Amino acid sequence: MKAVAVPESTATGSARAGIELRKVVKRYGNNTALRELDLHILDGEFFCLLGPSGCGKTTTLNLIGGFVAPTSGTIWLRGKRIDTLPPHKRPVNTVFQSYALFPHMSVRDNVGFGLRMDRVRGPEARRRIDEALGLVGLQELGDRTPAQLSGGQQQRVAVARALIKRPAVLLLDEPLGALDLKLRQRLQVELSQIHREVGTTFVYVTHDQEEAMSMADRIAVMNEGVLEQLGTPFEIYRRPASRFVADFIGDANFLDVEIDGDTAVLADGTRSPCSGGGVRGRATLMVRPESLRLVDPDDAPAGALHGRTVKSSFLGTRVRVAVDCEAASAPLMVALHGDEATALPEPDRRVALWWAAEDALVLPPEGESR
Amino acid sequence: MNTVAEPEAPRRRLGPASASYAPFLPAVVLLGGFFLVPLGIIVIYSFWEVIDYNVVHHWTLGNYRYFFSVTAYVKTMWATLWVSVVATAISLGLAFPFAYWLSRYVPRRLRAPLLILVVVPFWTSYLLRVYSWLTILGEKGLLNRFLQWAGITHHPIGLFLYDRSAVILVLVYLYFPFAALTLYSSIERFDWDRLRAAMDLGATPLKAIRRILVPQVRPGIVTAIIFVFIPILGEYLTPQIVGGTGGVMIGNLVVNFFQAAEYTRGAAVSLLIALFILLLLIVFRRSLSAPEAYGG
Repeated sequence: MKAVAVPESTATGSARAGIELRKVVKRYGNNTALRELDLHILDGEFFCLLGPSGCGKTTTLNLIGGFVAPTSGTIWLRGKRIDTLPPHKRPVNTVFQSYALFPHMSVRDNVGFGLRMDRVRGPEARRRIDEALGLVGLQELGDRTPAQLSGGQQQRVAVARALIKRPAVLLLDEPLGALDLKLRQRLQVELSQIHREVGTTFVYVTHDQEEAMSMADRIAVMNEGVLEQLGTPFEIYRRPASRFVADFIGDANFLDVEIDGDTAVLADGTRSPCSGGGVRGRATLMVRPESLRLVDPDDAPAGALHGRTVKSSFLGTRVRVAVDCEAASAPLMVALHGDEATALPEPDRRVALWWAAEDALVLPPEGESR
Repeated sequence: MNTVAEPEAPRRRLGPASASYAPFLPAVVLLGGFFLVPLGIIVIYSFWEVIDYNVVHHWTLGNYRYFFSVTAYVKTMWATLWVSVVATAISLGLAFPFAYWLSRYVPRRLRAPLLILVVVPFWTSYLLRVYSWLTILGEKGLLNRFLQWAGITHHPIGLFLYDRSAVILVLVYLYFPFAALTLYSSIERFDWDRLRAAMDLGATPLKAIRRILVPQVRPGIVTAIIFVFIPILGEYLTPQIVGGTGGVMIGNLVVNFFQAAEYTRGAAVSLLIALFILLLLIVFRRSLSAPEAYGG
């Protein structure tokens, strides 16, 4: 049994040292999929790799799983170097996007495949297969073949199969991508529960920011082979490090501004409050739609932005109002919740927009992301 | 969540039975006229006898009894089975790695040219392709000339021709494309993530191929075996041309009987070949039904 969970005692350094990628580069011919990625994934955390397609998140997953080799750099798991090991010798298991279940085997045989490869047989194997099927709630369906299961059930089988060897790390490659929204949300909850129950490090690849936000302890936002930002969902949403991150996670309004001390000078000369470290001169101001307040234009504080409503949309939990301002190149989106949202503001009304300084984040100007 | 297949809606009848069977007529005529009737004639012939070069309608088992009474014939029959099994095994043994390599590692745009290369030999006639082996294996052939030029031998070696290994070599050459194309079309549809999943779960690459890939392309493998084994079993030109007296196969016996106007004995031997093919199909009948193989 080579690939069961590594006992605590063999971990060198800090007990929380999970996976470490050091200066990992991956090139395919002239294409650079990853440029010098340094990544530290803690033991036991639910870690999300988030980004648009082609950002290098799946490449990162495949590097950890051993399905591709890094062009340069090293990969470490609990203090041991693993980038030189073939996939079947790494204590890492994968849930594939296509599930990759074995169609000629029953559910039990699928789940037990990893044990059979480790020559675990008899009552021990039966007990662990039952345990794994119980974990995903499929005890009753062990004798079916994958073709007789629904998409959600197949997905659960794939999770049970990958967890049965008690890997140090579970890799999940967009495992919910093929399912419809309702089922996806239910399985998100289930996966989080399973993660809490088994305590294994989960590395989860997705392009769906809501999925990442709802499950992850920490998120790594990637773009074009570069790690844009690493942080908790809260940090990434509230304090995005770049315009790309702010745009990719949630909705955001962007304004071209000139920073003068602790105020932002807008295109029409309005001096508005902002918070932002260190940036001087030309910059991008980011305000979330829910941070914008609609105020009476005749009673607006200095620094408020004046404009006209373009359109109001009722979206169930909120009302979205588009406001055309001279200071902004595109209409600004305002989200109204609760009491504010009781009446839809009619179009072409004069309004003013106001925000608190801590809600207006100064980012490096567009085109100069780090 | 229950995903058991819904019961099929009862099929509507398409009017009177005669009308609904009409579309089958061409198939019935073709299959009947070109397969069942000739087969019936062969079966009947095999139970008649020839007297003075004429087929006489005497019912008898004599043709079969005669065949099994001549040791040389029985030996030829076993040798034919042996040659067919070995040639089929080698053809598939070469074609499987080729098809695997082609569908897993060769970029899509290069696959078509490579497949065309596999098929190119079919543009020349069968006879030409077999005769060309004479110029390679023969006493003054390429192989002997090379060996003499290289100083390995001083006299031409006759060993390369006129025995069973020469027959097997040429049969493998002739039937490799059939095996390769059949296996490729089967492996090409395989989801390689499944192989990666098996390795991810601790299987070595070879184990993953044996436990996951092979069972899933079994219908393709069985089809390849059938496509290769059946024609080889009835081969008579290749053994005649490159096999000489040492490479005689059961097909040559059929030809010899018919040339000697022993039609009924020839028919009996033909039916023996058909019997072996039937046995093969019975052995493989389960693997040939796709739903069985895919567990659907």
